Amino acid sequence: MIEFMELSIAVFGAFIAMCMFSTLYGKSNPLYVFAEESYVGFATGLVVIMAIMYIYRAGIQGILAGDWILSVGIILGLMTLTRLSREYAYISRLPIGISVAVQLALSMRTIIFSRFIRHINATVMNLFPADSQLMLYRWTIFLSLIPMLTFFFYTTEMKGPLSWSAKAGEYILYLSLGVVFAQTYMGRLGMFVGFMQSLTLPPWKIPILISTMIIVLAAVVILDKANLADRWIPG
Amino acid sequence: MVSESETEGGILRFLATIDIRIVYFLLFVVVVGPLLYPIGMPISVSPDTVEFHDVIAEMGPDDIVLLHLGTEFSGWNELSAGSTASMRMLIEQGAKVAIISAHPEAISISPLLYNSLSDVMDANDYKYMEDTIDLGYMHPNEAAVASTASDFHGTVRTDYLGASIEGTFLDDINTAEDWSLIIDIQTGVQSAAMLNHYRVSYGAPIAKHCIGVSVPGAKADLDAELLVGVLPSLRGGAELETLIGAKGPGVAAMDAFSIAHYMLLIFVVLGNIGYFGYQRSASRRTTVGR
Repeated sequence: MIEFMELSIAVFGAFIAMCMFSTLYGKSNPLYVFAEESYVGFATGLVVIMAIMYIYRAGIQGILAGDWILSVGIILGLMTLTRLSREYAYISRLPIGISVAVQLALSMRTIIFSRFIRHINATVMNLFPADSQLMLYRWTIFLSLIPMLTFFFYTTEMKGPLSWSAKAGEYILYLSLGVVFAQTYMGRLGMFVGFMQSLTLPPWKIPILISTMIIVLAAVVILDKANLADRWIPG
Repeated sequence: MVSESETEGGILRFLATIDIRIVYFLLFVVVVGPLLYPIGMPISVSPDTVEFHDVIAEMGPDDIVLLHLGTEFSGWNELSAGSTASMRMLIEQGAKVAIISAHPEAISISPLLYNSLSDVMDANDYKYMEDTIDLGYMHPNEAAVASTASDFHGTVRTDYLGASIEGTFLDDINTAEDWSLIIDIQTGVQSAAMLNHYRVSYGAPIAKHCIGVSVPGAKADLDAELLVGVLPSLRGGAELETLIGAKGPGVAAMDAFSIAHYMLLIFVVLGNIGYFGYQRSASRRTTVGR
C-alpha cells in the first residue's frame, strides 16, 4: 500500500520537475517560473533554518557546556548584523575582517601542501617501473607536464624549442579539455539518469510521470497559443 | 531575402543547424526508454573502483568511519548508488559509521540512506547510536572543518536530533587521525577543507566518491596521495554494486547511461559532418560571390 505522503511527494516532485523541463519548449512560461521560484524559496528557507540550528548546536550548546570562548564568536556574529544599518555598518567590518583573516590563515597553512608540494612530488617518479601499464601512465604525465608548463610562460619570447614545446602544450590542453568535457557530460547525464530513476522507480510512479508530462506539455502549448505565457509571468 | 547559401544544403544543412529541442527529446527518450524496459548491457569494473572497494573492504568492527555528505539532491541522483553500496559494505563488515552533512540539503539525504538499507541494518543487528550516528549539518568552511579535525568533541556534542554523543563509539574520536577512514561524497569544492585539515594536517585516509565533473581533479589528488581511492560518478556506483554482488539502481541506470553516450557520439559525428559539409562550403560560396 502506497502511503499518502509518498504519493504526494511523487506527484508534486514529478509536477515540479516537468515544470522545470518546460523551459525546453523554447519559450518562457509561468509554470517554469513557478517551479524556479519555489526552489529558490525552499532553498533560502532551508539555508536560514540550517544556519540557526548550526549556531545553536555549535555555539549556544557549547557556551551552555562551559566553553565561554564561543561567546566571542556569537558577539562577532551579532556585530555582522550591523550591516543592516547605514549608520553603524562600519562595525561589521571588524568581524568580517577577522573571519577572512582566520579562513585565509587556516587555508594558507595547509594549501601550500595540498595544492602545490604534494602535486609536484607526484610528478617526481620512477619512469621505468616493472608494470608496463604504470610505465605508460607515468610517461604520459611526464611528457605532458613539461610542454604544458611552457605553454604558460608569459614573459619569455617564444622561439625555437620553447615555441615547439608551448605548441605541444597547447594541443595537450585541448586534449585535456576534451577529457573534461566528456567527464562533464557523463556527470550531467548521471544526474539526469538518476533523477529520472527517482521518477520511474518503483513502477507505480510511471503513470504519474507520464500523466504529469502530458498535462504540463498541454498547459504550456495552450498558454503559448493563447498568448498568455508571457502575460502570466510576474514582472 | 533568403540567400542562395541558406536554401542549399539539404541533409547537410539539417545536420549543421539541427534544432536543439530534437536533441533534448531524443536524450529524454534514450534515458527513459531503457529505465522502463531494461536491456541488461554488461559492464566492466575499472581499476579505480577496485581500489576504492579494497579500501572499504579493510574496515572491520574496530574501525570508525566518517561518511561526509557534501552533496545536494541533484548530485545525490548521481551519487546515491555508490554511497549506498559503500554504506552497505560498512554495515555488513560491522564498521561504525558517523554521518556528517556538509550541505543543507544533505540533512534529508542521510535518512534516505538509512531507509534504503534498513533491511541490511536489521539483518546485521546494526543499530542507531550503537553502530551509526547521524551528526547533522556541519558548515564545510576552513574554520569549522579545522576545529572538528583538532578537537572533535569541542565542536560536535550532539547528533542531528540533539541527543548527546557522549558514551557512544565517538568517544574514541578526538582528532582527525582517530578516524579509520573518511568517505567523502562530493559534488563541489567543499572537500578542499577536508584535504587541508584532515589529510594534510593529520594524515587521515580519505576516499572520494564524486560527480563526473570532479573526476579529473580527484584523480590528480589520488596521484598525489591526498586520496586513497576515487569512485567516479554513477558509473563507479554501478561498478561497486557489481563488485559486491548487490545490484541496484546504479546497474539499472547503466543501459540508459551507455545508450545516451552512444547518442552523444553519433551527434558529435553528425554535427561535424554537417559543419564541414554545409557551413564551410556556405562560407566559401559567400567569399567567392563577393
